[in-house]
Amino acid sequence: MKFTTRELVTMAVFGALWGVVEISMGSVLHAIKIPLTGLALTAIGLLVALIGRLFVPRRGSTFFIGVIATVLKLFSIGNIIIGPMIGILAEALVAELVLDIFSKPSQLSFILAIAAGALWTFIQPFVTGLLIFGRTLLPIWLDTVDQGSRLFGLGSQAALWIVLALVVLYLVVGAIGGWLAWKLGHLVTFRLKGQAPAAV
Amino acid sequence: MTVGKLDVPSILSKPGKPVVGSLGHLVIFLWSLGVILLTQLRAGFLMAGICVAFLAVIYPSALRRILRPRWLILLGILLIISVLFGGGKPDREVWGFLYSTVNIMAGVKMTLSAIVILLAADGLAASMDITEVAGVFERAGLQGLGFSLGVAANQLPNLRQSSTNAWHSLRMRGGMRAQWWRGLQLLLLTILTNALRRSEDIVLAAEARAFRPDRSRTAPLRIGRLDWWLIPVGVISLAGVILVL
Repeated sequence: MKFTTRELVTMAVFGALWGVVEISMGSVLHAIKIPLTGLALTAIGLLVALIGRLFVPRRGSTFFIGVIATVLKLFSIGNIIIGPMIGILAEALVAELVLDIFSKPSQLSFILAIAAGALWTFIQPFVTGLLIFGRTLLPIWLDTVDQGSRLFGLGSQAALWIVLALVVLYLVVGAIGGWLAWKLGHLVTFRLKGQAPAAV
Repeated sequence: MTVGKLDVPSILSKPGKPVVGSLGHLVIFLWSLGVILLTQLRAGFLMAGICVAFLAVIYPSALRRILRPRWLILLGILLIISVLFGGGKPDREVWGFLYSTVNIMAGVKMTLSAIVILLAADGLAASMDITEVAGVFERAGLQGLGFSLGVAANQLPNLRQSSTNAWHSLRMRGGMRAQWWRGLQLLLLTILTNALRRSEDIVLAAEARAFRPDRSRTAPLRIGRLDWWLIPVGVISLAGVILVL
């Protein structure tokens, strides 16, 4: 991946914005224990990264932005933050892979990319819990069902429905994020240059 | 922000060339992850214990952070959940409470694994400079990451300030009351536009100094006296763990 100076600076700015979201909003939301904090942070972070994709419409740029945000998060508070770090990197990679399927950025690719990234947030505890922390799947499944049960007000007997509802929620929030990223990206370009983004 | 702040562990901080450099810390991090990922339950208990002891010696500051009440409570919860909800069948009884020794073993191993990861990640973050991390990624193919990270790290305080200012301006004008959705969009739009306008200045400054990503030097890595030894030792010990355990 070889980028020009302009592209590197643009990606740095978007990576820093994602970093700001993770460092400031992430710390506050995690501290006050708002439900679905991870989903909110993913949607906003990927929204920023995908607007960046409109300005640097090249393969690898979204992942690059994610790496910058990850490193900033790593050095942000001098504390242990392995979960969010894996999350940011994996979300950026998932979004990058989805965007790479399409020849150029489009509204559909944005919607699918953030939806897939948001879905990763749902899957991540199972993957990291199993592979890294050596946890069995049952406690993670119970945590997920418990969270969904409280969120939707359903009994924990309807575990499958709860999980399905959570998956749909993650996908819908991701899709809204993708739609918003496309819309905002165009608005920013019009405001800056008075023309459509280079990617379109 | 502690960007660039080095927290060099006590036994490794000697004047001159360090005993363990950035490469060595990276090897230790990957080795720790490898050991706990590759070992099975019974052997894993032993290996995770060895890892914790080893990491505690080289990263005492990371150990001190782990011993804070917040982390101890979290680790305790992890252990209790595993003991209560693990898949093993109860085979012992204490004061009328049935428990499974398999669940307890798995819980202790899981908690030790979590401690190893936390110690290794915290130790790595405290021992490596931000430019060195960029150097590692650049060597992995992300050319120009060092430059981008430098720009991003310098932009961080400005972006935070600019975002806060935009938020206060919008709030004081009642932008989040009647049409909060539109207000939110305007907030994002303002932050992004300001950030991109500032990036134009940085591009001009970099180009004025004749910066070219393809001609720039990769950020150097600090190499310690033991670093080149740690690589084969790490690989051989991991291979041994896979073959023997």
